[in-house]
Amino acid sequence: MPTSILGPYTRTIIVGAVIATTLIFAFTNARVEVWFDIQPLFEWMETTWFGVIGKTWGAAFAFVEAIHLLGLAMLGGSVLVGEGRVLGLIFTDIPARTIIDRTHRVFVWALITLLATGIFMACGVAMKIYYLPVYWYKMLALAAGILFHFFIRKPLLVRDLEAINPWLLKAVAISSVMVWFTVAATGRWIGFSG
Amino acid sequence: MLNELVYNFAVWLDDTPWSTLLHESYYMYNWVESTHVLTLMVSLGMLFIIDLRMLGYALPEVPASKIAERLNVPMLVGFSAMFITGILLFYAVPVRSSQSVWFRIKMVLLVVCAVNAFLFHKRLNESVSTWDTEARAPGRIRMGAALSLGFWSIVVMCGRFIAYDWFDCQYDQSALVEFLAGCVDGQVRF
Repeated sequence: MPTSILGPYTRTIIVGAVIATTLIFAFTNARVEVWFDIQPLFEWMETTWFGVIGKTWGAAFAFVEAIHLLGLAMLGGSVLVGEGRVLGLIFTDIPARTIIDRTHRVFVWALITLLATGIFMACGVAMKIYYLPVYWYKMLALAAGILFHFFIRKPLLVRDLEAINPWLLKAVAISSVMVWFTVAATGRWIGFSG
Repeated sequence: MLNELVYNFAVWLDDTPWSTLLHESYYMYNWVESTHVLTLMVSLGMLFIIDLRMLGYALPEVPASKIAERLNVPMLVGFSAMFITGILLFYAVPVRSSQSVWFRIKMVLLVVCAVNAFLFHKRLNESVSTWDTEARAPGRIRMGAALSLGFWSIVVMCGRFIAYDWFDCQYDQSALVEFLAGCVDGQVRF
């Protein structure tokens, strides 16, 4: 296998660069052109079965919203327990590998629940959210969170925690908690906007 | 009689200046509501991990007693924040909240959840030494965990449904809904 000039942190640096590029794109005028281009996608979303059901039956939409919240709670639990162990705040007498791996499974199921219900909800109010800046902030935070979790946190924590710089561990754990609470907060704020 | 009492109390709360200030403050009200929802991630997040552990779906290698003991504190901190923000949300919109069918179901279920939690912890403490390291808890404990998951899921649903005005007293409702919501004849405040 060829040795990368970036050393053992190649993937981390690439994902960091992707996130930084996405953020630069999102906060400059380059996004406006893309924003216009994807309007038909959002118009189409409202015409799908999800969109029709979401718009027609308020109770169905509300039910899916509640499932979304339950998924959020489960995601919060897995993140807080997992990062709490990485930070050395809880379960310090249990091997970190056990807690990290097991909470990751719960995290994945919670994320699947959030994405599935989130897509349904987005279809029901597609044109509303299309014009909401906070929705796009949430999508940015969500993309950053998923990239961060699967391409930075997970590969890093595959190693023995003892071998990782403690400050790097702290930075990763705190970043993880912050990014997922940002996703949740921006999601809640969608309800107050528009 | 009881409904009129509740209504009059809610109207009195609604007339207090702080209730109006909280309700009319766009940022303050939304921050309180956001905090109420975000603390779900702490309170219910911990609760779900505990319940899923008992059912054998999460952290099966970790002794059940440790899960319950270590996650209890953050869970209670989360529930305290939810309780305080919940009271503030009720205070901001007292009349409509007190006459919401969903709010009333939610309050009843919260009591049911508290009783279930008490029984769950009692049974857990009595028997945990015999099965602590097993992946799945005994049947009675699993039943308590499943009930906890079910009740709390309905609590969250009711909480979400409060935002919708399907059964509000200001609209024409069936006799059953008027009874459940506690609508008062001739009420002028909604």
